[in-house]
Amino acid sequence: MNIFDWSSIDWFPIWLSFRVATLATLIALILGLSCGWLLARKNFLGKEWLDSFIALPLVLPPTVLGYYLLVVLGNRSPVGQFFENTFGFRLTFTVTAAVIAATIHALPLMVKSVRAAFEQVPTQLENAARLLGASEWRVFFTVTLPLAGRTVLAATVLAFARALGDFGVTIMIAGNIPGRTQTAAVAIYDYVQAGKDAQAAALVVVVSVLALVIMYATNRLSHRALA
Amino acid sequence: MLRSHFVTMLFINLLIKRSSENSPVFTLSVEFQTGSGITALFGPSGAGKSTILQAIAGLLHPEKGCIVVSAETFFDSEKKIDLSLQKRRVGYVFQDLALFSHLSVEANVIYGLNRLNRHERRSKALEILERFGLESFIRRKPHELSGGQQQRVALARAVVIEPRILLLDEPLSALDAATKRDLIEDLKKITRDLQIPILYVTHNRDEVLALSSKVIVLDHGKIVAQGEPLSVLENLGAPTLARLSGAENLFEGVIIEKRPERGTMTFQTHQCQLEIPFAGYNVENKVRLAIRAGDILLSLAEPVGLSARNRLHGRVTQLTPQGYDLLVQTECNGMLFTALITREAQQELKLKLGQEVWLVFKTHACYIVESEP
Repeated sequence: MNIFDWSSIDWFPIWLSFRVATLATLIALILGLSCGWLLARKNFLGKEWLDSFIALPLVLPPTVLGYYLLVVLGNRSPVGQFFENTFGFRLTFTVTAAVIAATIHALPLMVKSVRAAFEQVPTQLENAARLLGASEWRVFFTVTLPLAGRTVLAATVLAFARALGDFGVTIMIAGNIPGRTQTAAVAIYDYVQAGKDAQAAALVVVVSVLALVIMYATNRLSHRALA
Repeated sequence: MLRSHFVTMLFINLLIKRSSENSPVFTLSVEFQTGSGITALFGPSGAGKSTILQAIAGLLHPEKGCIVVSAETFFDSEKKIDLSLQKRRVGYVFQDLALFSHLSVEANVIYGLNRLNRHERRSKALEILERFGLESFIRRKPHELSGGQQQRVALARAVVIEPRILLLDEPLSALDAATKRDLIEDLKKITRDLQIPILYVTHNRDEVLALSSKVIVLDHGKIVAQGEPLSVLENLGAPTLARLSGAENLFEGVIIEKRPERGTMTFQTHQCQLEIPFAGYNVENKVRLAIRAGDILLSLAEPVGLSARNRLHGRVTQLTPQGYDLLVQTECNGMLFTALITREAQQELKLKLGQEVWLVFKTHACYIVESEP
């Protein structure tokens, strides 16, 4: 028997991971830009607590995070019930849950990088723009974001990789439903458990190559950001 | 009054208190009015010159007072008026210029013309760029220009929006002497046509005399003199002037050696010998030497491999906060030197009283302010 079984490889988990990660990255980008900007530019009570809270997924075991999310989003929670009444389906153990899991996995690094990138943009330049009549939105999109651009782009690529690789939170709140919520990371676990080593190995190679390419892109971007 | 030949276009009455950790409160309390043309704000670092500009621009909020520019109230603590930065229409040239490094020269100048349509924007920007002799650089990025050209871009960007007031924060301090002369001529030409008040922050006496029609002398957050530049500066007297120009170090001594081939001389005072720029004095001439506190570098270790010719070893004897900066007094060979460093530098160096330090300054940081024949 071959080490890699390419013939019977199931592309669904990879395709699903890709879609989930793309959506999660978009959400993380929007949340990251707003939180990063708040943390970099505004002073408010509990600012550093907010920063710590956002960073929690970096240090908490995924099972703990997953547990919290089950409590908050589950079908007996207010949030879960509201969602079910409004949209007609449950949050947990769906693709939506997988997106939430991937977003939470990707967000901390995103916020940290964006905050650092924004803090490097001199406030003097933003003030110069304001004195030239620019609104806050225009200042953000024509001065702050372009000057932080490369770092933000690098952070986004890295966030995509993080979103692609989430396992713990996904299996806790999205489950392991083949053909529905089974992402690549979860599928590999499933194959190994079932003794389908060749199929697992094929998926591992695909995911590893993808991760390597992403890391390379991130490094290139961050180096140019520094230059 | 009948005697005033100008219409008041700027009226300011300000009380600003700044406090930061482990330093006494810095208080700025000033009141003055001025008309169109260049008014120089003259004084040492930490006197509050830039603070006044920041208050006019809305970058900081005074505790009390009011700012009225051409009948428009920017700020009034009693009427609770505090116009946003966007609405003040202030032309501000920052000390470090604050050009948008990611935008072309043209885009920098066009930035403030967002309200005009595309065609008007371009023609107006082009017109001003031509006036500043920048028409051949419009596609360049700021970092591809010389210091003088960058300065012109910053000025063009500030002037093109037809500001109510123009604020210039030491616009020439980073330029060499020749470029400075050119720009002073340009500034004169440009500002002659502008019927707005222009505040010009400087600690350079020559710039005050060359450019301004009125000078306001500031020291420790207060106005100490104001009026016609030549008579105001003359009345201050040389030592006060040297101190206000930021030359906190004044030494009396003699020239003991001249080296015209190297363009230097040796100045001696007590046990201390300094290398100073060559000038038309004779050996044995008694002179008064000035060194700006901001021109002296502090080092914790003996500096090596530097081009600066004057290196002195000494001990910190006094630390005095001044505005946002810190004055460090050091005793070297029985002489007291004062150096000005930022709070950040102080935190990095962790300076303490009694600490051994090295003072470093260039030959050209020393200049003779007075001599006795």
